[in-house]
Amino acid sequence: MRWTGKIRFLFLAPAVIWVLAFTVFPLGYSLYLAFYKIEQKVEVKREKQPMLDAAGQPVLDDAGQPRTKNVVIKEQVNTATFIGLDNFKRMLTDTQVHEAVRVTLTFVLIAVPLELALGFLLAVLFNQHIFGRPILRAIMILPIFATPLAVGYTFFTIFYEVGGPLAWTGIPFLSNPTWALMSVIIVDVWQWTPFCFLVFLAALQGVPDELYEAARVDGANAWDMLKEVMLPLLIPTIVIVLLLRMAEALKLFDIPFALTGGGPGVATQPFSMLAFRTGLRFFDLGYASAMSYAFLAVIMIVITLFFRRLRANYG
Amino acid sequence: MMHPLKWPLFALPALALLTLPASAGQNVEWKDDGTVLIKLGEAYNNAVIQTTREELGTEFGPDKQPFKDVTISVTVNGAGPKGGISGPLYQFRPIWEELSGGKLNIVELPFAEHYTKMMLDLRNGTGQYDAFMVGAFWYGDIAPAGYAFPIDELNKSGKYPKWTYDDMPDSLRALHQWKGVGYGVLNDGDGQVLYYRSDVLADKTHQEAFKKEYGYDLPNPPQTWQQLLDVSKYFNGKNWDATDADPDSGTVLHLKVGEQGHYHFQTLSSSFVLNPGDKVTRTKNVYWFDPEDMKPLINSPGHVKALEFLQELHKTGPQAQVGWSLGEAWDYFLRGKAVFAFSWGDLGALCQDESRSKVKGKCSATAIPSSNEYYDFEKKEFVKLDKPRLVGNTVGGSWHGVISNFSANPEAAYSLLSLMAIKPASKLMATVGWDGVDPGFKYQFLKEDGGTADVEDYVKAGWDANDAKSYVHAYYQVFTAPVMMPYLRIPGSFEYWDILDKNLSATMSGSKTAQQALDETAQSWEAVTDRIGRDKQKADYQAAIGYTP
Repeated sequence: MRWTGKIRFLFLAPAVIWVLAFTVFPLGYSLYLAFYKIEQKVEVKREKQPMLDAAGQPVLDDAGQPRTKNVVIKEQVNTATFIGLDNFKRMLTDTQVHEAVRVTLTFVLIAVPLELALGFLLAVLFNQHIFGRPILRAIMILPIFATPLAVGYTFFTIFYEVGGPLAWTGIPFLSNPTWALMSVIIVDVWQWTPFCFLVFLAALQGVPDELYEAARVDGANAWDMLKEVMLPLLIPTIVIVLLLRMAEALKLFDIPFALTGGGPGVATQPFSMLAFRTGLRFFDLGYASAMSYAFLAVIMIVITLFFRRLRANYG
Repeated sequence: MMHPLKWPLFALPALALLTLPASAGQNVEWKDDGTVLIKLGEAYNNAVIQTTREELGTEFGPDKQPFKDVTISVTVNGAGPKGGISGPLYQFRPIWEELSGGKLNIVELPFAEHYTKMMLDLRNGTGQYDAFMVGAFWYGDIAPAGYAFPIDELNKSGKYPKWTYDDMPDSLRALHQWKGVGYGVLNDGDGQVLYYRSDVLADKTHQEAFKKEYGYDLPNPPQTWQQLLDVSKYFNGKNWDATDADPDSGTVLHLKVGEQGHYHFQTLSSSFVLNPGDKVTRTKNVYWFDPEDMKPLINSPGHVKALEFLQELHKTGPQAQVGWSLGEAWDYFLRGKAVFAFSWGDLGALCQDESRSKVKGKCSATAIPSSNEYYDFEKKEFVKLDKPRLVGNTVGGSWHGVISNFSANPEAAYSLLSLMAIKPASKLMATVGWDGVDPGFKYQFLKEDGGTADVEDYVKAGWDANDAKSYVHAYYQVFTAPVMMPYLRIPGSFEYWDILDKNLSATMSGSKTAQQALDETAQSWEAVTDRIGRDKQKADYQAAIGYTP
């Protein structure tokens, strides 16, 4: 039996409504907010109305008097003023924006390569026949399943500088601006290296043994095999992992939120945290929207250029 | 037929009912002589509050449940059933539900989200929440916009539990009102005082050594910030507390960004900045902005000097405190690791909790010290003072209930908040450390300070008598000082403070100089003022500080 055209639309409707309501509308509305200044005014009036029971009869109190309820009547007036590119221009002179961009880029440029490198090395190690490999592998991937917010709070106790388990090192993990950012990076590396490891290990296990055999016959040592066999074959996987991690790392929020609160000062305040605070703490929604769109544009440009370069190099 | 062995099971409750007084619920007992006993739970050691029918108002009574089937929702900073500010709501919930017949839904929100959720509800006018336990610094965003429900009529009606603004010092009363209209219900009084280790400052060996090193008698307690810094420096790094083998500190601070570190700066800097005068003028009794043009004063030489001073003071405490919230700093003091802490009333009460504190009986409090010089805004120079002058403060939230103007049940919400505000309840709560309710009202002050409380009230609640005496007197002094630190209550206060907080944190962690941090603060404040509207801000600021052009 073939579905008629109308029924197909009916089945598609929930998904379409969902996407329109929760993706398209917020995108459109936030773009509108970025170009307009919205001012709200509200007038509240109250009226006492009799309470009625299920049969529509007035409900009486103990003294036999009719019980009343408050009805709130509100009149809300929103005034929207077009401000053009003002919100975007403001970003150019806002030191908090500049600082947040610096923090985000520093984080991405250090954390992501570290995660990839460590993940790759661990994958190579676990690709060998080592004792207790299945158990160790299972333990290795546990951090992925932890909630970043909980991880942040856990590391807060680990990095606690007076009486914490690492206090003996004397390192100011959370009170020094540079170390605080390093602490955020350490936590992120701890949590996401296993993801890189897992994907790389799967890719390595897909490399046919014959290739290693052939390399060995040709006199290749371990380094040669890594450089000439494993890496070239893993390049597509590395690119995918790199993109996934970069996209995630650029959205950094939970770990600094729980670990440092963005401080000291703004030393660990990434761009997404700044946009969140601007919009939902100070209700400067227009500016927060502009920030988000600018950020989205920058990410799209970077990723597109990155992809183009990769495509040129590796087909 | 009922089995004979089951008879006693039914007979016992019936017998109990026959022997009860005039009317007794599980939590409220109405006596024939007009007294009413309110029974609190384990968190308050099963304390019983004695009140009267008169004090509870006409709506509540043994046979009345005026808000039957009404459910109200109240938001509060999330701290749990035995946490600061939220705890009392949980403890009074069964009592109010029994009295009113209504249901109370306590909505705990993390501090960082509370303001956001409240404002979203108010801006959209949804009326999801009936009341909010607010910090006074949120008033600028809720009162002028018409989001708060005025309570003066309900307060005067005599229908609800009775309390009065007259019990508040002027400094605290101002925080509960906006342009003379009452919005806030009495609950908590916030201000910072200086806590010090009375045993350590009284130690003869240290007194002699201090005099030898600094050339003057060890001040017990310090009267000026400069004295406090000397004493802090002297004790820092020495193992003056024998409870462990590690060196101890001078002053402990809570400086974590996004929390309450900026209050330390407000308290400390007020006496470096405020120019005394009978009334508020363009240069007298102003701290935040020039009331004529809303230009920030935050980077004045007085503010800068105060911040440089705070940097010095920070060096006499653990470096880790840059990342510490209130809890960590308080715990450090309670463990006997610091001679000084300047903080809110909770700390004094927590000193008495021997499960957490090693300093009960050694935890004295005094009014906040002052600077021996201040920056004169007219002469544009620093003025040296012969003797210390007290500058009071109400820094903090003074967390209390405000009713939403969109609430369908403002009377029910008010009846709950006012029940917690009656004198005997408020008195009890102020003596307990965990509940976050701090003293500040006349009946909590001692008789010698014009109040009605006795030290015995505090001793009965488990306090050391000397600690209690110094504590309540210190609070009396900071709330009734002739010169008071003005409170910032204008739209955007939260944002102004957030900008200041971040820059202060950067200074304390060494990434900015004091001048640089405060210049950047002033620059960012200008942008906020321009965005919200300079004229509008000026009008609200003038109203908030009582300035007449």
